[in-house]
Amino acid sequence: MDNQQPVPSVQPGEPPTLRYLDPEQVRVFRSEDGRLRATIADELSILAPRFLRVQPLTDPDRYISIREADPNGKEAGLLRRWRSLAPESRELVGIELDRRYLYPTVRRILSVRNFWGLVQCVFETDRGVREVTLRDVHDNVIYLGEARVLLTDAEGNRYDIPDVAALDPDSRAQLARII
Amino acid sequence: MAAADRLPEVIRKAVARAAPDAEIRVAAASDLGADGRYGERWLVLAGDRVLVLAPDGAEATTRVDLPLKDISEVVVDNLVGGGMLQAVVGGYKLDLLSYTNALSERFGRVRGQLDAAAKDKPIPDQPERQRRCPMCGLVLGVETKVCPRCVRKGAVLRRLLQYARPYRASLVLVGALMLAAAGFGLAPPYLTKILVDRVLIPRAEAHLLVWLVAGLAGSSVLSTIMGIWRGRVAAWVGGRVSFDIRARLYERLQWLSLRFFDQHPTGALISRLTQDSGGVQDFLAFGLPWIASNAIGVIGVAAAVFVINWRLALLALIPAPLVSLLSRALWRRMHRAFHSFWYRWGRFHTLINDAFSRIKIVRAFAQQPAEIERFRLRNADLLGASVYAEQTWATLMPLVGMLIASGSWLVWYFGGLMIVGSRGPTVGDLMAFLAYLAMLYGPLNGLTQSAQWMSRALTAAERIFEVLDAEADSEKARGHVVPETIRGEVEFRNVVFGYEKHQPVLKGLSFKVAPGQMLGLVGKSGAGKSTIINLLCRFYDADEGEVLIDGVSLRDLDLSFYRARLGVVLQEPFLFNGTIAENIAYGRPDATREEIMAAAKVANAHDFIVNKPDGYDEQVGERGGKLSAGEKQRLCIARAILHDPAVLILDEATANVDLETEDQIQQAVARLIEGRTTFAIAHRLSTLRNAHNLLVLEEGKLAEFGTHDELEEKKGVYYRLLDIHRKTSMIKAVSR
Repeated sequence: MDNQQPVPSVQPGEPPTLRYLDPEQVRVFRSEDGRLRATIADELSILAPRFLRVQPLTDPDRYISIREADPNGKEAGLLRRWRSLAPESRELVGIELDRRYLYPTVRRILSVRNFWGLVQCVFETDRGVREVTLRDVHDNVIYLGEARVLLTDAEGNRYDIPDVAALDPDSRAQLARII
Repeated sequence: MAAADRLPEVIRKAVARAAPDAEIRVAAASDLGADGRYGERWLVLAGDRVLVLAPDGAEATTRVDLPLKDISEVVVDNLVGGGMLQAVVGGYKLDLLSYTNALSERFGRVRGQLDAAAKDKPIPDQPERQRRCPMCGLVLGVETKVCPRCVRKGAVLRRLLQYARPYRASLVLVGALMLAAAGFGLAPPYLTKILVDRVLIPRAEAHLLVWLVAGLAGSSVLSTIMGIWRGRVAAWVGGRVSFDIRARLYERLQWLSLRFFDQHPTGALISRLTQDSGGVQDFLAFGLPWIASNAIGVIGVAAAVFVINWRLALLALIPAPLVSLLSRALWRRMHRAFHSFWYRWGRFHTLINDAFSRIKIVRAFAQQPAEIERFRLRNADLLGASVYAEQTWATLMPLVGMLIASGSWLVWYFGGLMIVGSRGPTVGDLMAFLAYLAMLYGPLNGLTQSAQWMSRALTAAERIFEVLDAEADSEKARGHVVPETIRGEVEFRNVVFGYEKHQPVLKGLSFKVAPGQMLGLVGKSGAGKSTIINLLCRFYDADEGEVLIDGVSLRDLDLSFYRARLGVVLQEPFLFNGTIAENIAYGRPDATREEIMAAAKVANAHDFIVNKPDGYDEQVGERGGKLSAGEKQRLCIARAILHDPAVLILDEATANVDLETEDQIQQAVARLIEGRTTFAIAHRLSTLRNAHNLLVLEEGKLAEFGTHDELEEKKGVYYRLLDIHRKTSMIKAVSR
C-alpha cells in the first residue's frame, strides 16, 4: 500500500465562524474607472464583489453574502440587513441584486389555456407581461408553505406567486385551473 | 451572412449609422431590457465593433459600442434565472446584455462566436436548436420536436394505419361486423313500431306477436354477437400493431447513438415506450373502432328517423347544438374538478410515501407531531377537493342526462299533437322515433369528444415516429472494416470533442499507446478523463481529429467487432438483476460454467461466490444490491477477464472497502491488465506507479506525458496533484 508514512495526528483546529458585518463598516462604490468595489472597514477591499442572497426565496433581503469576484472566491462577510447600508452603497447593492436575481413576481394571471398536456399562460409580472408555456405542470410547481407557489416554465424560467390568496379572484380562478 | 437577415429594420439602420459598411457577423436578440424588465435588446458584431442596441420606437439606442480588439475574452456570468454576457476588457468584466433562461442556449452559442472573433479565429457557424415550433411558436419540450398543435393529423393517421396493413383482412372483417352490428341495432325500434301499430293498438293479429318478439330477441342477440366479435378482432389488431411499433421503437433505441440519449432524458424515452405506445394501442384497439362504429351508428339512426318522419326529425334536432355545447361546458367543468382532485391525490400520495420512507429519521428527531400536522393539512386539502369533485359530479351528471333527454320533450309534444290530429305519424312511429332518438344522442355526444382523443393519440404516435426517424444517428450505419485481430495500438490524433458542440471538453488532444501498455489518465475532475474513455468506447465520435486503433480510424472500424474486443470495468460496477454467473458471462453468453469459474478465480471472486448459499446461481438483486461493494467490483473484473479484451478501460474503484478486500481487488486488477492495452483512470498511487505512461490532462489539453518517475522529477502539474493525493490518502488512512 501507499501509506507507509506514520499516521499523523489530525488537529481539529479552530472551528470556522461566520462573519457578520456592521453596515457602517461596509462601503460599496464605483472607483474612478467605473469598476465596482467594496471595502470593509480599513482591512479589506474587493474588486468587482458579488452580492448573493443567502435565502433568495424565503426572505430575500435578509442576509447578503459579500464575496470575491471569482466563483470560488472567499466570503468577506454577511450583511444581516443590507438596506441599512449608507445610501450610495445601498443603491449599488440594490442594482447588483436586481441584476443577478431574475425571478419575476406574478401580479396577475391574464389567461390560461390548456391543451394536450401543455399550459399556455399570460402572466403580468413586476418585469412586464410575459407569455409562458408550462409543461408537466405538476413536476414544476414548488409550494413554499401554504400560500406561496413557484412555477417553472418549459424554458427553465421561474415565476413567483408570493401569496395565492392575495391574487385577485379572476387570477385565482385561472390558477386553480392548473394546480 | 445570414445573421444580417433577421435584424429588424430599426436595428439595421442603427448598426449602419454606428458602423457604416461593416459586415454583420453575429446578431442575436435578448428578451430583457436594460432595466431588467422584459424587452428587446440586440447584440451585433458588425465588422470589428461589438454593439448592443435597444429599439426605442423608430430609433434604436446604442447601449454598448466596443472595438473587438479591446476584448480579450467573452464570458457568461450565470445569474439566477438567466445569464449575463460579458466582455473581458483590460482584465475587467464588462456587462454586454442579460437574458432569461429561455435564451441561455442561444447566448452560450453567441459567446463562443464572439470569443472566437475576439481571438481572431473563424466564427463557428452553429444553427440554433429549435425549441419553439417553427409554425406556431409554441415552446416545445427539450426532448421533442413534435408540436401538439401543428402535428399533421392526416399524415400521421395514414402512417399509423400503414402499420395495420399486414392485418388488412382482419380490418375488413371489423368493418363488416360494425356495419352488420349497426344494422341489427336499428331493427328493434322498427319492430316495436310494427308491434304497437299492428298488434297492441288495434288489439289484433296476435299471431304476429311471436314473430315480432323473436325478431326483437334475434336482432339483439345477433347485434351483441357481432359487437363481441368485432371487439375481439379489433383488440387483437390494435394489440398487434402497437406490439410491432413497440418492437421497432425498442430496436431503434438500442442502436441510436448516445448523443441522442443525452438530448432525450431517459424518463421521456421510457414514457415513449410505455405511455405513448400505450396511448396508440388504446386508440387503435378501442378509440378508432369506437369512433367508427359510433359514426356508422349515428348515420344509420339519423337516416332512420328521417325516413320515419322528417318533420319530427327536424324538431328533434333543434336542441342538438345547444345540448352539445352545454354538455361540453359541463364536462369541462367536471373534468377540471376531477383534475384538481387527482392532483391533490397525487400530492397526498407523495406525502405518505415520503413520510414512511423516512420513518426512522422522523422517530430519531421526535418529529411525529409535525408529521401528523403536515398530514392533517394535506388531508384537509384532499377532503375539500374530493367533496368539490363529487358534488360537481352529483350535480352535473343528472343535468347532462336531462339535457340529452330534452330533444324528446319536443318530439313528445309535437308528435303527440300530430297523432291526436291524425296528421301522419302513428303511435308506433312515435315510439320507434323516441327509441332511435335515445340511440342518437349518446354517440353524438361521444363524437364531439373524439377530436381531442384523436389529437392526443396522434401526438403520441408522432413522438414515436420521431424516434423511428432519427435514422442518421444510428450506430448501425457506421463502420465496415473488420480486421483479423486487434493488437491494441491506440492513437488520439488532434482530437476535439464536446458534448455540446459549442463547449469543447477535449481541445486538440494527441497521444499514442503501444499494444499491451498501460496508460494512466490523471487530472482534476472535469479535465476530460472520462471523455477520453467515452470516445475510446465510441459512445461518441470526435468532432475533429481521429481516434485510431491499430492505425484504423474508429469511424471505419466495425463497431460490433471492436466492442467485442473492448473491456470496461467502471467505477460504478454495473450489474443487472440476475444470477452471478449470468452477470459474469454478460459479454460472452456462450461461456461454459468452467470458463466462468476460471475467470472468477483469477478475479479473486470464486471463493466468496462459492460461499453464497446459491453459489454461482445466487441472485445479485437489482443493480447487485445484495452484494457488497468489493464483491460487485470483483464480479465486474471477472466479467472483463472472461471477455478477454485487447483494449481495456479501467475506471478504478475508490469505494469504501476494507484493506484485505482492497488487496484482493488490486491483485485481480493486476492480473486483468496483464498484456492488454489499458486505459486507467487512476486514483491509487500504486496504479500510477505501475502504468507505463501517464497522461496528465489540464482543461482538455495534454499537460504532461511520461512515466511516474519522470513526471515526479519534473515537479510540474503531476507533482502537485500527487502532493494533494498523498495528503488526502493520509486522511483516508486515518479515517479507516
